[in-house]
Amino acid sequence: MRTVQPCIIIGSYAWDQDRVPRDEFQIRIGALNQLMDENGWKAVLVYGDAAEHSALAWFSGFTTRLRWGMALIPREGEPRLLISMSSRDVPAMKLMTWIPDVHSGWNWESAFDPWLAKLNGEGALGSVGFELMRPPLFASLQKSLGNRFSLQAADEAVAGVRTLRPRELSQIRAASRLVQTAGAAFVEPWRLGKGIETAALAAERTARMMAAQDVRTLVSFDGGRTLAPFRGAFEPQADRQAGMVGYIAVKHMGYWADMFVTGTRRASEVERQVQASLRTLLELAKPGAAAAELYAKAIGALAPYTLHPVLSGSVGRRIGLSLNEGGEIRSDSRHTLRPGEVYSLAVGGCDPQTGGALTSAMVAITATGSELLHLSPASKLQ
Amino acid sequence: MGAQALRLSETVRYLETEGLDALVAVNYGHNSFLESHAVFVLSGVRPIGESAVVVDRAGSSTLIVTPAWDAVRAAKLSQTSKTVGTEDLAAMLAAVLKEHRLDGRAIVSVGLSTLAQGLAKRTEAALGGNSRANELFIRQLARIRSPEELAASEKATAIAEQGYAHMLCCVRPGMHEYELAAELYCEMKRLGAEDNFLLLSASQHNLAVRAAGGRVLDIGDIILSEITPCYQGQFAQICRTTVIGKPTPLMQEKYAILQTAMRAGQTAAVPGASVRDVTAAMDDCFRAAGYGDYCRPPYMRVRGHGLGITSDLPGDLTAESDTRLEAGMVFVMHPNQYIPETGYLMCGEPVVITPTGAKALSARVAELDSVAA
Repeated sequence: MRTVQPCIIIGSYAWDQDRVPRDEFQIRIGALNQLMDENGWKAVLVYGDAAEHSALAWFSGFTTRLRWGMALIPREGEPRLLISMSSRDVPAMKLMTWIPDVHSGWNWESAFDPWLAKLNGEGALGSVGFELMRPPLFASLQKSLGNRFSLQAADEAVAGVRTLRPRELSQIRAASRLVQTAGAAFVEPWRLGKGIETAALAAERTARMMAAQDVRTLVSFDGGRTLAPFRGAFEPQADRQAGMVGYIAVKHMGYWADMFVTGTRRASEVERQVQASLRTLLELAKPGAAAAELYAKAIGALAPYTLHPVLSGSVGRRIGLSLNEGGEIRSDSRHTLRPGEVYSLAVGGCDPQTGGALTSAMVAITATGSELLHLSPASKLQ
Repeated sequence: MGAQALRLSETVRYLETEGLDALVAVNYGHNSFLESHAVFVLSGVRPIGESAVVVDRAGSSTLIVTPAWDAVRAAKLSQTSKTVGTEDLAAMLAAVLKEHRLDGRAIVSVGLSTLAQGLAKRTEAALGGNSRANELFIRQLARIRSPEELAASEKATAIAEQGYAHMLCCVRPGMHEYELAAELYCEMKRLGAEDNFLLLSASQHNLAVRAAGGRVLDIGDIILSEITPCYQGQFAQICRTTVIGKPTPLMQEKYAILQTAMRAGQTAAVPGASVRDVTAAMDDCFRAAGYGDYCRPPYMRVRGHGLGITSDLPGDLTAESDTRLEAGMVFVMHPNQYIPETGYLMCGEPVVITPTGAKALSARVAELDSVAA
């Protein structure tokens, strides 16, 4: 789900050496070294901004709170992390990464050029996430590279070596537990007659008090027909018989988990079909399942309703260090589900008369099937 | 006429004066509290994703939002003639330009340099590759807050102060920093803050303020908070220092230097004054107290800065800035400073420039606060 990007990520996060020790990063860098050897890259530059920093976090542990960060990882020599914050902020940023050499990227020439000068010879550097980089920063980078080094997009190759590590799955399970607790807190105020924004805020507060790094919510002010970001009006419930529809995503220790929250007071046909569609998805989400076929089956089970517009034509995608790690399950998808992937699955429908319903689940694809991490709460409010 | 409608009219006049056919303003889907959000300035909408506004010389305007489903909400809020939703901003921009009959015409762009370069390239292609950029236009256009924007800044300031008062009631030794930040953040959201640049951290000797972490608060801690709620598109920031337990006379003595610097800055910040001079007025107070060598990073960052999301002018308050202050400009002034004897201390208020200097928007200016241990 697209949500409003906050101006800064304010929640708690530090490199937890107990959960992700240095040897874990050595394994990941080892995979990157192999790629560098295969492609003749002298180094790989991994860029991320506050909105999308999945690859950067995977290799460095660093999650960008503000602006951008870039890990400079050489085949020979020491890595360096550049952050778009002042030198005043460097000590705090060092708490988020195993890379000891952290510099403010604001003084580009003094932060990047000396590191580059240590690379031997000339040749190609791999780049990851550079589509996200602002043009002025890219211009500075190109100036520094000059004619000595060229850039080669390494996004696809790097994505190929990023298999989900067991330690990551453990962290995703922790995020899943957190979003389940927050989801329950979402429903309760509504059940007691409070407004939808009060309910969403209760859920967010619950997550933040449990050390969530980031929390995103969307709510429906119109019975599930559309979703909206924070309005701040905190209106009371207009119809005490109405159901509720909301969405919450929680980031914890770097990893996202999300869910739709639907509370019903009256049984509705659209709700039944949405649940049936999700059950179909869960039954079929196994290694080797074709994403396009999953989509078709889910849409078939949803009939006579069509997919809710807020899902933008997708009934799932991979989730992890990003809310959207790719692998969208759409009508035109060409991939199959693979062991070790974690998917957020979501279906919804809308009836012009009675309103909309949305539900979701998170699953980890295993060697033989799937592990259900969580389901949207089945919330009968009366 | 509201601020957005007025600025759309001023944009049309600018196009006429410059002999341009249209202006295309874009935003990358982030709401930076230090930057101008050109799409918000012209439309009154903060779209969820990447967005654009097209204004043509005839006065017709179109807001383009992503994702497509956000168009329903955006259309209700937007001051533009039309609102459309899409999953592909660049492709829709090309279609809208065609609809406005602007293919190959003289177009000025705002905000392209803030886009991710992948999207920037596609957007440039949609503009036909021959637009010219004027990154300053919206920042200049919105540099003086309209009456309703100033009222929103005042409301944002009140939310910050009420949030801080709530924080003082909540804080106790044994809490995690993130729990205190959660209390503060959620209280301000309850009061209407749609976003918040909130840093909160504590130490017995702070090097700087940072985002809240897992540290457990203790007696004698100095809690630093940079509290920056956004209300109706106006960020306001207060900077506060709070001691758990009784502040020592040394802390009080050093904090008074920051307060003196704040007052000196406010006095110097009259219309026409340069940012350089205002900064010097504050730095002089630290120099007089023997801390001249500390008036540079990493011991401080800047002495204040503009506040988004309408216009970030006058920009950073630094000794290098020649920007001139104008009556009605709103920004935060904060002589936050690392002092070797006490660690980093914070003192700052949102201010509006008046003929007699910078007037704080806050009802109660920063003191060295304390809470019972």
